Amino acid sequence: MSTFYIPLVFSGTQVIKEIRKWVYRELSEKNRFYDDSILITMKIVLILCFLVKIQLVLCYGNDTFTEELLIKPLFSDQVYAHFQFAVTWDKDPTIKKYHHTHLFPRALGEIIERHNIHELHISLTGGLWRYESWGYPVVDAAPGAEVWAWFKPDTVDIDQNWKLLANTLSGLLCSSFNFIDVSNSISPEFSFRPRGSTDWTTVNSTWLRYASLPREIVCTENLTPFKKLLPCDSKLGLASLLNSGFIHNTKYHSIALHLRPICRTETCESVSLELQLSVSLVYDYAILGTRNWSFKKLFGQGLEGKCPLSSRSNIYVDLSTSDSKKFDLTPTPDEVVTSIRGGFVNKYALYHISPNFLSISGRYEDDNEIFVKKPPSLYANQYLIGYGQERGGIVSKIYNNHWSALEVVLLQSIAWYVPVYLHTLKIVSNGEILKPTILKYIPGKQRERPYYIEMVLNLPPLSETLISVDFDYIFLKWQEYPPDANHGFYIGSAVVSSYLPLAKNFTGLPQDSSTIYSSFNASRSGYLVQVRTENMVITLPTPDFSMPYNVICLTCTVVALAFGPLHNITTKRLILKKKCETTLVQKLKLKFETIRKQLVKSKSD
Amino acid sequence: MKMSTLSSKHAKKKENTYFLQSCSKVVLLLCLAAFLRYLVMSSKYQTIIANHFEISTPICSWKRVQEGLFLLSRNIDPYDGDLLHETPTALIFYKIMSQNVFRDVSLMFIFFDIGTALLLYAATRHYAKQFHQEHRDRTKYPKDVHEYLPSEGYYEKVPLYVLVAFLFNPYTFLGCVGYSTAGIHNFFLALFVFGMVYGSPIVSSLALAICSSVSFYPLILLSPLYIYYSQVYKSKTKALLVVLYFLTYVYLITFYNNSLSKSFKFINNVYGSIWTVPDLQPNIGLFWYFFTEVFDHFRELFIHSFQINATILYLVPLSIKFSNRPFILTIALLFLITIFKSYPCLSDLGFVLSFLPNFLHLYAFCQQGVIVGVILFMTSCLAPTLWHLWIYSASANANFYFGVTLAYAIAQIFLVTDILFAQTKWEFTLKHGREAKIDGEDADLSLE
Repeated sequence: MSTFYIPLVFSGTQVIKEIRKWVYRELSEKNRFYDDSILITMKIVLILCFLVKIQLVLCYGNDTFTEELLIKPLFSDQVYAHFQFAVTWDKDPTIKKYHHTHLFPRALGEIIERHNIHELHISLTGGLWRYESWGYPVVDAAPGAEVWAWFKPDTVDIDQNWKLLANTLSGLLCSSFNFIDVSNSISPEFSFRPRGSTDWTTVNSTWLRYASLPREIVCTENLTPFKKLLPCDSKLGLASLLNSGFIHNTKYHSIALHLRPICRTETCESVSLELQLSVSLVYDYAILGTRNWSFKKLFGQGLEGKCPLSSRSNIYVDLSTSDSKKFDLTPTPDEVVTSIRGGFVNKYALYHISPNFLSISGRYEDDNEIFVKKPPSLYANQYLIGYGQERGGIVSKIYNNHWSALEVVLLQSIAWYVPVYLHTLKIVSNGEILKPTILKYIPGKQRERPYYIEMVLNLPPLSETLISVDFDYIFLKWQEYPPDANHGFYIGSAVVSSYLPLAKNFTGLPQDSSTIYSSFNASRSGYLVQVRTENMVITLPTPDFSMPYNVICLTCTVVALAFGPLHNITTKRLILKKKCETTLVQKLKLKFETIRKQLVKSKSD
Repeated sequence: MKMSTLSSKHAKKKENTYFLQSCSKVVLLLCLAAFLRYLVMSSKYQTIIANHFEISTPICSWKRVQEGLFLLSRNIDPYDGDLLHETPTALIFYKIMSQNVFRDVSLMFIFFDIGTALLLYAATRHYAKQFHQEHRDRTKYPKDVHEYLPSEGYYEKVPLYVLVAFLFNPYTFLGCVGYSTAGIHNFFLALFVFGMVYGSPIVSSLALAICSSVSFYPLILLSPLYIYYSQVYKSKTKALLVVLYFLTYVYLITFYNNSLSKSFKFINNVYGSIWTVPDLQPNIGLFWYFFTEVFDHFRELFIHSFQINATILYLVPLSIKFSNRPFILTIALLFLITIFKSYPCLSDLGFVLSFLPNFLHLYAFCQQGVIVGVILFMTSCLAPTLWHLWIYSASANANFYFGVTLAYAIAQIFLVTDILFAQTKWEFTLKHGREAKIDGEDADLSLE
């Protein structure tokens, strides 16, 4: 019987211990009175499980959970903290039941099952990642909300499932994903390939849906349900550092969820399901008040120990800036790892989280020094041109700082209320016209479909490429404007994807791994970066919202103005009519005259 | 006998010199107009003019045609999106015209504008001559109304006036300079009028079929066409043949459209969008602000009533009233379409305004010429000004521009009702004389 339980992380007695610990923690704030009775019922339930030999044990498989935190003082005046949680679930893909989960959040399991999902990627971001001064993040994310999903090829109605999925996700993460439907979703062909392993012979982009909600504001209400997806919640381990009060006053904060199947072994005979949950934060020294950072400053508290369910709990501090600007770490790291990746050597201070209290701080010797910035190989901007509310243009600017040519894919999903003219598309690189290798375009439709432009460009070395396209400002029905109509409408960010040959400023994870630890010394043939540009806001011309009745009345009056005379001309005949002898005015005049005459007469008398 | 032949010879000679004179005048005018157009087109003002919504509506914007041609060249179905509202045939036509025949787009637009002017000139020349002939016998009319009859040089004057009114009309001029494809649509409308006046059923029905394939509004001109040919042939069944011609052409064009685009998607893009007005870009018409502001659940009701108002509401009563004057009926219907269609542009108005010299004889009966002239002038100046204030300097709002378009529509309505009213009065006066007296007493003319 115990063989069934070997795959579990804990033995039976450990489970009881754990449960007791949990219940204590739960009840400590509320009422300790009931804890014994609850424990007894728990025990009974557990014994019942043993007795009935429930098959669900089979589904648990070999689950692992890892938690990691990377702290990277950036070359500019910011410090970057990235929490990486990963759950892998050795799930047999042939069994389509996802109800019985162990460390994996059951809520997501249900979503996968119901909507037939192959891969799911969600990010909720506040602020903009500044590639030019911060380098590349571990996980790229667009400002606002972004979601893309690969459905399994046998999904019946992908559009319908996509809409339902978006609605479910909006409930799961308390966000506005419910605004996603076909009118703002696209199926990009090159930019978003499946990240995990697949057994598909061909990859058909019709199984993919991508949408972004640039207007989404990310705050505490998204973080709280996000933390609940973690096995230890936010009670223990690194997640306990995620205090909303300290997270949402950062310069950039992004929570992300990436779900994909991965190879279980090197030979990839079977697959596991992997869920990466990450929180990226960029703290500004100006907001912190000092360059010397510490857990207390960043998260408001220290760490009380690791999550007992995790198989790896590490903290890394990137020491790359330490060369130019030395800082001391307290306590001293357990070890210093040297990572040689893609031609670049980097040092990391590594801390294994012990059950003891831990608070790491970095202290600079000299406070007022300027760092030497190392701009990354590829980054991009996006902005609007033109003035007034009649005609404008969208310009994307891609910088290639690499010494050789780079092949990039530019994806632009432009909302239907910004009709673009493809014939005005101009690509100029270092003053010369550049032709895209491939250009995909699906014209948008008002209220139905966004404009989708995707192109493959071969950027010349050390170049600055401008991609511009013209659009018209359109006029919506008055009920289609949002409550604050003059705030404007958002255009989502463009996505520039490329495989960089060198891992300069690169901190991303390799495709085959799910932990930061495995990214050390992980040299590959290319390093995928997906640079997201700024969101843009355009203020569409607005009608006067206060006068629908007036407009209806006035226009109908003008229409009636034509109807009257035309009706007269066509239905009546001209005839001669005797003149009326006297009009009213004449009558009054006459009367007045006689009165005056009488008055004059009486006076003279 | 000798005398008479001599006089007729003399008259013929005189007519010939007259003709040569007018010919040289026409050529001069056409050259001048073409030159002026080309001058403005090659200046920086071309894009400014073309960007104005009064000139380039979604239906007749050259930029959208360019987009369609570009998508076509990249093998993307231009009817997949909703920017293009021209038919596949029209698109191919523009492609051939702009890429193979003319190379220079401005030359294409000038060519079609000059063509329209010539057709209008020829049509009105013929019509004015007929009209003059009809009223030549002055003995039929009371003596005091002779001044209301077309004078001796009438049929020489009117076509020239029409030519000038078309070529130097600021509305058509701006439309041509701004590459409004309405100018090319108007060419076919002019061809229709030309064919009708010259009594060519094939030309007129083909031109009408082309016009109605571009937008469905000209379909109602079938009524004057039928009336005209039933008068010419003096048989209603024979006139039905013209209608049959028309239907065949329409079928052929639709068939060709369909085979070009390989689907019926274009129907929704062309006719669907003209009927349901999904694009609420402002123009000089009445639709845009109304359907921006109307409540969603009334939208359908108003769309259909507005479109019926623009098409068949006045069709039957006017056809009955002016059943003996198909030319006037045509112009009245064209006028009403221009006022009430969903995406009117300045070219449309310029085109119908250039027909006005045909009503020279009604001048004495028109009452609202000054009002209409002043309103048109004021609104033409105010519209771009208020547009700038609204869109660029954000110091006015949509209501200002809407007010101007209302006044614009009112001016046109006054104009068309005034002319029709004058026509009825003119007919009455020719019949009953100028004196409005009953039993020797002063009387009033009134409609009853």
